[in-house]
Amino acid sequence: MNLAIIDYGSGNLRSVENAFKNSININKLKFSIEVTNKLTSISKADHLVLPGVGSFPDCKKGLKDIDGLIDLLNNEVIYKKKKFLGICVGMQLMVDYSSEKKRTAGFGWLKGNFKKIEKKGLDYLGRDYKIPHMGWNNLQIENKIHPIVENISENEQYYFVHSYFLESKQNDQIIANTTYNHKIPAIIGKDNYVGVQFHPEKSGNSGQKFLYNWLKWRP
Amino acid sequence: MLSTRVIACLDVQNGRTVKGTNFINLRDAGDPVEQAKQYSTIGADEICFLDISATYEKRRAMFNVISKTAETCFVPLTVGGGVKDLNDFRDLLNSGADKVSINSSAVYNPKLIKQSSDKFGNQCVVLAIDAVENIKMPSGYEVTTHGGRKKTNIDSLKWAKQGVKNGAGEILLTSMNTDGTKKGYNLKLTKLISQNVSVPVIASGGAGSPKDMVDVVLKAGASAVLAASIFHYDIHTIYSVKKEMSENGIIVRDCEN
Repeated sequence: MNLAIIDYGSGNLRSVENAFKNSININKLKFSIEVTNKLTSISKADHLVLPGVGSFPDCKKGLKDIDGLIDLLNNEVIYKKKKFLGICVGMQLMVDYSSEKKRTAGFGWLKGNFKKIEKKGLDYLGRDYKIPHMGWNNLQIENKIHPIVENISENEQYYFVHSYFLESKQNDQIIANTTYNHKIPAIIGKDNYVGVQFHPEKSGNSGQKFLYNWLKWRP
Repeated sequence: MLSTRVIACLDVQNGRTVKGTNFINLRDAGDPVEQAKQYSTIGADEICFLDISATYEKRRAMFNVISKTAETCFVPLTVGGGVKDLNDFRDLLNSGADKVSINSSAVYNPKLIKQSSDKFGNQCVVLAIDAVENIKMPSGYEVTTHGGRKKTNIDSLKWAKQGVKNGAGEILLTSMNTDGTKKGYNLKLTKLISQNVSVPVIASGGAGSPKDMVDVVLKAGASAVLAASIFHYDIHTIYSVKKEMSENGIIVRDCEN
């Protein structure tokens, strides 16, 4: 199996690569990994990972700057049904649009839009809700039979850093939520594609467990 | 619920850690890569490397340390010390740092905060403020650079607010008055900054016991606590700190005993 981590100028992808490599080695899986921005490599790969840090409009621009990439992703994921993972802004790009800085369209694979996390109120210790939502948080698993959350307990925590959250009425696409002031979708997905708001590559053993689930998932 | 983070900080000089640690199972106790891995294994929520090398040539060793650490250490990694411009920023991020903390360079080149957050995103820009008590300042605290040796005549609160406005995603706040005393964090300073900025504030400087961590969270509203020496000499561990925090009602991420 061949895994392509898509490099479109959004930050350092080494962490994502390192975390996948570790999971592949430990679990003795037969995968090769390529970090690439080449359309031919992406279309040859069996599975696709789209990371993303920074702002939604910047990431969208990075994708658009690679001629044909967005069309190719649509084709590979929606029509050819290749397994796909979006991480952080890579996940955000999977929905209709985001209001970060200016309204920017995503791929529209899932329903909803990203808006700023609400600040009002105080947390359980009387502290303000700081934005970004930064640090380790639990999941509330909504779709307990999804293979992607196998063996993951609600006591485990994942590393989040983001300021926008998915607002959507489409509940069946939400696999897990987290809570920071209000409910925030943490794992979303449909058919052969999932997206995570947290960073599995920075979430210690829990993150490794998630990556392993995704690698062995056969949608 | 979001955990309050416990961050272990390592001082690195010429690619080696300066202060000792007592991890018995390390092959090389001065190797920051092994120490970072050990800290992440026992439950540190983030690792912070502070590079105190004097020259650029010596600083290059840091890139190697970061890239090796990032291969095996799957928790967020912050690197600071000597970051001067966007090139330094890029080099550190490309080596595997998740966040870069800037201090003196932000004071001498205030545009760096905006430039770096525009370029790399505010999630990776940490504004480090070394504050010292000064009654002549409106907030009572002056920003210092060079480890507290140089005064700047800049008010710490104003500087924090401006930094956030320019795109800093987090503030690493060190009290130069309590740093190294092991008598507890500066609660007044931490509360002042934390209540007046919208981003998370990491308390630093003065931790001597797990109780100090509890106090700075409960009494001053810190989003995260950072400590260096308290973890290095085996008196207190990440586990004992988190246990004390948890017993006082602060939610922390589980870690190994």
